[in-house]
Amino acid sequence: MTEEMKKYLHQLLMRVDGLYCILVTDRDGVPVIKVANEKTPELAMRPSFLSTFAMAADQGGKLGLGKHKTLICMYSTYQVVQVNRLPLVITLIASETANTGLLLALEPLVEPLLSDLRGAVGES
Amino acid sequence: MGCCFSCKDDGSNQGGEANERTHLLVDPVSNNTTIQRVSSEDYSSCARSLPKKTDEQSALNQILQETATNVIDVAALDSHVLEQHEYHERVKHYAQKLQSGSRWTVPRRTPCLLLDVPAPEKFLSAEPLSVGNLDLITSAVSKANAALQELKVEHKEDLVVPFRIP
Repeated sequence: MTEEMKKYLHQLLMRVDGLYCILVTDRDGVPVIKVANEKTPELAMRPSFLSTFAMAADQGGKLGLGKHKTLICMYSTYQVVQVNRLPLVITLIASETANTGLLLALEPLVEPLLSDLRGAVGES
Repeated sequence: MGCCFSCKDDGSNQGGEANERTHLLVDPVSNNTTIQRVSSEDYSSCARSLPKKTDEQSALNQILQETATNVIDVAALDSHVLEQHEYHERVKHYAQKLQSGSRWTVPRRTPCLLLDVPAPEKFLSAEPLSVGNLDLITSAVSKANAALQELKVEHKEDLVVPFRIP
């Protein structure tokens, strides 16, 4: 099952110019599935970096603006888009010049994977 | 006579009847103890019969808890740092779970306006559009365009109508 999923994610990775990595992690930043190319910054894939999203999502939900859905961080050389699908988190790491709208449009395409991935995380 | 408060006749004239000495409200404490004794197994009735003070305390606690969860205290956020071995164990566990799952099929793509053509030379080498058809299309389009240009709103009634307000 993993191979087919990775193949599919790899196709999505190729679809957006400047996208380096697609990660689906649990709330602690442990990857359930990931596809990345050689340009991906290693630091951005560490659980210590990825797990901050779940915390931010928990706190952001208290602002009275509804549930926290997406976090977009623009750095000088990279951009990181994280989507709240708790207990799963979708993380997209791309170059700072990549089209953020296209990255956001990938979320519904990753969606069909999530039910199976959620099953793997939920039973642990 | 002239006695404002007397407990002497308390016992004599009770007999279960209501009089001026009967409490309008049942004593909460004594009432509770009896109820608790009778239905100690039933949690719901027990909860209902809790003394007022405890109710207040639990309500206050609830408010406190709700407030605490609604407060954003960045300094108090504890980042759960995952141990290296725990991380690897989890990665392995997820990989196993995914492998053991049923076969996953790639979702069907939604139809796109632009589609790949398997043999483009077939389409490219097809007969071009005849001059007659091209003329027909051009004239039809120019007529439709002219008709659209001439489209006007015909004014028939007054747009502002005075209401008959007495």
